[in-house]
Amino acid sequence: MNEKTPLTEGVYYILLALYEPRHGYGIMQYVSELSKGRVELGPGTVYGAIKSLLKRKWIVPIDEEGRKKEYVITDEGKRVVEAEIKRLEELYHNGQLITKGGKSV
Amino acid sequence: MRKVKYRIFLDYDKEEKWVNDMAKEGWHLEKFSVGRFVFVKGEPGAFIYRNEYLGNLSEEEKVEYFALLQDSGATIVHESFNWIYVKKPVNEGPFELYTDASSKIDYYNRLLNSLLIVLIVNIAGATINFSIMGLSNKGVFNLGAGILHLLVAALICIPMVKIDKNKKKLKEQLFE
Repeated sequence: MNEKTPLTEGVYYILLALYEPRHGYGIMQYVSELSKGRVELGPGTVYGAIKSLLKRKWIVPIDEEGRKKEYVITDEGKRVVEAEIKRLEELYHNGQLITKGGKSV
Repeated sequence: MRKVKYRIFLDYDKEEKWVNDMAKEGWHLEKFSVGRFVFVKGEPGAFIYRNEYLGNLSEEEKVEYFALLQDSGATIVHESFNWIYVKKPVNEGPFELYTDASSKIDYYNRLLNSLLIVLIVNIAGATINFSIMGLSNKGVFNLGAGILHLLVAALICIPMVKIDKNKKKLKEQLFE
């Protein structure tokens, strides 16, 4: 995972979930709701992603009160998400263009 | 009612499957250490069990990760030598710790790195023992120790090859 390679579906949704501060389980629930149950992230997957996103400074922990840390996306993380949305748009538009008989959409 | 079973697994996937098969028969894991498993009698098939190698998680990270496991409905059954077994009631749906290919590959890499260290330590141990065995009258002990190190090194290769195979399969899924 870096700026050049596409984000995995899980990482993309985890970053979206952190536009609001959330702890690990909050992320799992939100991603499940957002994808209408299609993407159910396992705790190992979420925790591994949190660790690697922290290392890249795409997310930061916020001042904690309880034992559960909350995280929030950083400006750099937001730039990564925006670049990913552009990439997905390109994929979507070109996909539509080719499969819908070359018509512009 | 309790049941103690002694069994050595070189393949932790097979071990996890065996623990789940025991659970289906109503024997639920309570404790484990190398080769020793303690089961208690319970409702057949009530839980799904998963094992995981915690690797280099710090104590703080461990607390955090355990909280996440518990939040998501899992119970930590037991921890031993940096391995854990967790369980989740079957009626709460499927239970996987790693749900996509890339995070599973990361997990395999962590496991492989740890096994690699064990492998290197044992090869070094064998080399040292073989090279000094001619220097003293206790050479026979060095020979024995060296052979033992080699044996452990050879055994470690079995799970490493298996994990590497699993990793390649996942990479194919990602078209890598």
